[in-house]
Amino acid sequence: MKSEQAKRPFLYVSFFYLLIFAVWQMLFSAGLIPDYLFPSPVQVGKRLWELGSDDYLLPSVKATLVRMAMGFSIAAAIGLGIGLLMGTSPIMNSCLKSLFLGLQTLPTAAWVPISLLLFGLSEQGIYFVIIMSSTPAVAIATSAGILHIPPLYLRAARTLGTRWYAMPVRVILPAALPAIMTGLKLGWTFGWHGAVSAELIKSTVGLGFLLNMGREMNDASQVIGIMLVTILFGLLLDRFLFGVIERRIRIRWGLEKKE
Amino acid sequence: MNASVSKSTGRSAAPRAVKLRLANVSKTFQNGTQTVEALAPLELEVKEGEYVVFFGPSGCGKSTLLNLIAGFEAPSAGEITLEGRPITRPGRDRLMMFQEHALFPWLSVIKNVMYGLKNEPQFRFRPRKQREAARSWLKMVHLEEFESALIHELSGGMKQRVALARALAPDPKVLLIDEPFPALDALVRGKLYGDLQDILTRTGKTIISVTHDSREAACLGDRVVVFTPRPGRIKKEIHVDLARPRDINDPKVAEYAGRIMAELEGQPDEKRAG
Ligand SMILES: Nc1ncnc2c1ncn2[C@@H]1O[C@H](COP(=O)(O)OP(=O)(O)OP(=O)(O)O)[C@@H](O)[C@H]1O
Ligand SMILES: [Mg+2]
Repeated sequence: MKSEQAKRPFLYVSFFYLLIFAVWQMLFSAGLIPDYLFPSPVQVGKRLWELGSDDYLLPSVKATLVRMAMGFSIAAAIGLGIGLLMGTSPIMNSCLKSLFLGLQTLPTAAWVPISLLLFGLSEQGIYFVIIMSSTPAVAIATSAGILHIPPLYLRAARTLGTRWYAMPVRVILPAALPAIMTGLKLGWTFGWHGAVSAELIKSTVGLGFLLNMGREMNDASQVIGIMLVTILFGLLLDRFLFGVIERRIRIRWGLEKKE
Repeated sequence: MNASVSKSTGRSAAPRAVKLRLANVSKTFQNGTQTVEALAPLELEVKEGEYVVFFGPSGCGKSTLLNLIAGFEAPSAGEITLEGRPITRPGRDRLMMFQEHALFPWLSVIKNVMYGLKNEPQFRFRPRKQREAARSWLKMVHLEEFESALIHELSGGMKQRVALARALAPDPKVLLIDEPFPALDALVRGKLYGDLQDILTRTGKTIISVTHDSREAACLGDRVVVFTPRPGRIKKEIHVDLARPRDINDPKVAEYAGRIMAELEGQPDEKRAG
């Protein structure tokens, strides 16, 4: 059954999205809801086109992506470091595990008020939200990945003369890499949520800013349009950057088969 | 038995230095309130270039003994010395080959073989030299064409041969092998025994291996140490004086295997009672 569908996924998926847009257009044409609240796909597309040609859209996409790239890199480095500590020290793990699990359950938007208090309306505040949103996921996945390393690998490394200080780079992180990659992917998603939430309030450029601007102007077309753009970029990065890297790692580690 | 007659055909022509000495070594595990005496105090000497096989019933402490020699665990009493120096921690002078292959999936075949060389003084920071050495070891186990393959692309027997090459590459003083062959079919095992003996005669390695298979013991060992059930003691040592390479299907090997097996089965309770 699965192989049947896997043969022409592109066709099915295109058809699925066409269907969604068709239903959307039909609902709009039925005129149940006034069009300033419920715009048609065409209106949304037109608004996005205007935003693009007025030089609003691209700088904002770029701004959000650049913030994410920087904030997420910092979060990944911190998360990896803390995860490594947790994974290798049982004491650290029992202390930090509940803390980070707790932080991970906190909705990312909940970091915005405290970042406003700490950093005001500055850029740093957005980075703060991104970092706080994605670090826990990376740390938890890293520590879990390390704790699940087959002890055999560690023993093999020790019998081959690997000293304790060389273990993280030569064995522990490589052995946990599939789990770490899953954590990075999740951390990116949380960071992306955090970035857009923070931009709603704190920014003069960015996808969150355009969303909020649309709300202030009562422009449902802009709000929906920017939501679609945000989804699109989130999906592209998840599938075609993190997804591809994750898959390649899993194939190399023998956890997944090449199709 | 013509054991003493064919002495010169074995590898024990000249008197050899003692490589590894176990003096009064015992091991007791403490699990909460429960104590398990795995190994009763035992004495053992392994000579330079000797192949010693540990043979005994399941749970008699063979793996435990190998772990003690490898330095993964410390003996409860007694001392283990390698070339006169006490063993305190794992190290590549006593490389262990595990029952499962334990190859690193994130490294290619040749990178796995190179792994242990990275810590060797004469190879450190010399990737070209490491690669050349690893290649020659892969050639010795007939896997030179698979150097860039990934681990999960290999068959079980190939994995064990890579693991053997990886264990031999850093030139350990003693190679410890914990039952690495049971998961393989007879044909592959026959080939592995051939490879192993070939390497043995070429490199003169000191090897200790553990097995459940009396034929494997007779085929590979210069000396087979038969253990009693737990707590493990040395029940009998049998010297196998047959020329190498030995064929697993050789009737003389089978004859020795029969003696080894008889030793294991004969009056299993006599030592424990005494
Ligand atoms: N870490 C441990 N804690 C408690 N008991 C242990 C531990 N390791 C081994 N034992 C016990 O010590 C005894 C010897 O175990 P060991 O694994 O050395 O046996 P073995 O001779 O290798 O058996 P097999 O041939 O089945 O591999 C067993 O009864 C086992 O239950
Ligand atoms: Mg065992």
